[in-house]
Amino acid sequence: MMERLECQWCHAQNPEGSRSCEHCGAPLATAALVSDSGWREAPRLRDMVRFQFSNSTCQVEGELVPVAEVDLSAGDSVIFEHHAMLWKDESVPVGVYPLGGGLKRSLAGMPYVVTQASGPGRVALSRDAPGEVVTLLLHPSMEVDVREHAFLVASHTVRYSFERVKGLANVVHGGSGMYLDRFVTSGEPGIVLLHGYGNVFERTLGPGEKILVEPGGYLYKDSSVTMTARQLNLRTGLLHRGMYMAEMTGPGRVGIQSMYHHHVSE
Amino acid sequence: MSVSSGSTGASGTGGGAYICRYCRLPSDAQAVNCPNCGAPVDVSAVVSGSGWVEQPPVRDMARIQFGRSRCQVAGTLVPSVDFALAADEGVYFSHHTLLWTGAGTNLEAWSKGSFFNRMYAGMPLVLMRASGPGQVALSGDRPGEVVGLPIPPGRAFLVREHAFLAASDAVGYTWQPAPVWLQVQDGDSSEYEYPLGQYVDVFVAEGDRPGLLLLHCPGNLFVRDLAPGQSVLVQPGGLVYTDASVGYSLHLEYPASQGLSWRSYNYRTMWLRLAGPGRVAVRSVFERPERYANIVASSGGTQQRW
Repeated sequence: MMERLECQWCHAQNPEGSRSCEHCGAPLATAALVSDSGWREAPRLRDMVRFQFSNSTCQVEGELVPVAEVDLSAGDSVIFEHHAMLWKDESVPVGVYPLGGGLKRSLAGMPYVVTQASGPGRVALSRDAPGEVVTLLLHPSMEVDVREHAFLVASHTVRYSFERVKGLANVVHGGSGMYLDRFVTSGEPGIVLLHGYGNVFERTLGPGEKILVEPGGYLYKDSSVTMTARQLNLRTGLLHRGMYMAEMTGPGRVGIQSMYHHHVSE
Repeated sequence: MSVSSGSTGASGTGGGAYICRYCRLPSDAQAVNCPNCGAPVDVSAVVSGSGWVEQPPVRDMARIQFGRSRCQVAGTLVPSVDFALAADEGVYFSHHTLLWTGAGTNLEAWSKGSFFNRMYAGMPLVLMRASGPGQVALSGDRPGEVVGLPIPPGRAFLVREHAFLAASDAVGYTWQPAPVWLQVQDGDSSEYEYPLGQYVDVFVAEGDRPGLLLLHCPGNLFVRDLAPGQSVLVQPGGLVYTDASVGYSLHLEYPASQGLSWRSYNYRTMWLRLAGPGRVAVRSVFERPERYANIVASSGGTQQRW
C-alpha cells in the first residue's frame, strides 16, 4: 500500500514524494514553525507552487507580493474583489456575483461589486503590499470570517456573504470595519485564498480560551470564535480615546497578520 | 556595493570568550543564535568593501533572553516579537505596535513628559508597559528587520524617531532635540525643518543592569564603526542609530552646474555627516528629503560646490 503524506496545514493526504500539498500548496516535509506562545506560522508557499481545486488549478507566483494565477476549467468559476485582478485571458467571461446589501457595503467602504470569472481560461489576482498568500481549505459545512479587503479569491463552491460585526462598540471602536467577509461551504469542499500583510500566524483556541488581538492585526477566524470589543483600562492620545482590542474567545482558529495596511475605499 | 564574505566565520573571538560581532557582548559560540541579540552565530560576516557590515536578519523563531524574561522573533517579512515576561519584569513600547496580548497580561499607560512637544513633533504621546507574568507581542508596519541591541550598564544609543519597537525595564528612555535643523525662508515666511525629525530618542541602561532595546528597521540594516575623526556622509532619512559618542552635522553638496545657478537647491544634496568615534547604523529604506529652498540658518555644517 502506498504511503501517504499528510499536510500539516490543511491535513489533506498527498502521494509519497510530493514536495508541496496538492490541495493547499503548503510545503510538505518541513516542520511547522510554532512560537513558544503557541502561534503557528502560516506556511510560506514556494514560488510557482501549484495546487488543485475542483477541476481547476492555482499557481502562486512571487514571494514579496505573491500573485495567485487561477487556471479555470470549463464549469468552474472563482470570485474576487474586482480591484484585485492583475490580468486575465481575454476570453474569460466575468460577471457580478449576486450580493444583497450593496448600498450598505458601499457606505462601509467595501467593494460594491464582487466579481465572478468562469472557465475555461486564466485569471490572476494580487494585492497591494508585501505579504503572503494563505490558503484556507474549507471542508463541507464550514464557515470562516475574514477581515475586509483580505480575501484574494475563492472557489465557486464557497458561498460568499458578509456579516455586520455585532455590537455597537465593535462597529464604532473595533477598528476592523463594519463588515466581515463570511465564507461558507455546504455540500462540497471549497478553497479561499487570503492575502495577509506581513507574516501570518494562526492559533487554535480551546473552548472558552481568550486572547486579545489588535483589530488591525486580525485576519480570519472560524465562525465558532466570537469576537467582541474590549476596552483596555488606559487612555491614549490628547482626546483620551480609549484603546480597544478584539477579544477572541474559542473554540476555533484565529489568524493574524503582522502588518496593518490601510486600504483606501474602492 | 561590493560585498564579500568575511573569513572569520562564526568565531568573532579575540582568542578568549566568544564575542558576538553584532551586539559586542560575550555570547555562546555553540549556540545557533546569540542569546543576547538574536543574531545568527554560525554565519560569516558580510562586509562591503567600504566597511559596512550587513546585519544578518534574526532567524525565524530565534529567542533573546533578558533578565528572567525572553522574547522570540517570528516571521521574516514583517517580524513580530513575542514576549514571555517573568513576574516583576516588563517591557515598554508604543501602543500602535501592539499585535496581541494574553488575556491576563497587565498593561498600563506609561506617560512621558513634554506632552505638547511630543505631540507637535508627531511622536507617540503615550507609551504602554506590559508586565509579567504574561505574554505580549509587537510588530512594526513595514517590511524589514527586527534588531536586538542589548545595552551594557551606562551605555547609551541615539535612535531616530519611530524606529523604537520595545525596551526592557532596565533601559531608560528620554529624547533630545535633533542635533541638526534648518531654518528656511519661503517668501515672507520662514520655518524650521528637521531632516532627522524634531527629536531623537535616547536609550541608556540605567543602574548596574544591562537592558534590551529592540528596533524595527524597514529594509536592511548596515553597521559601521567609525574611528576617532573618521566621518561618513549618509542620507538623513537612512540613519537608524548611533553610539552617543558620534557627532552629527549637515553637509550640502552642489554638483558642478556649468555656470547655471538658477534654483540650485533643485539639485543640491543634503547629507548628514556622522563623525567618529562610535558605531553607526543605516537602513536601506529611507524617506527622500524635502527640497528646502532658501536656507537662512542651520545647526551648522559645511558645503561643497563642485
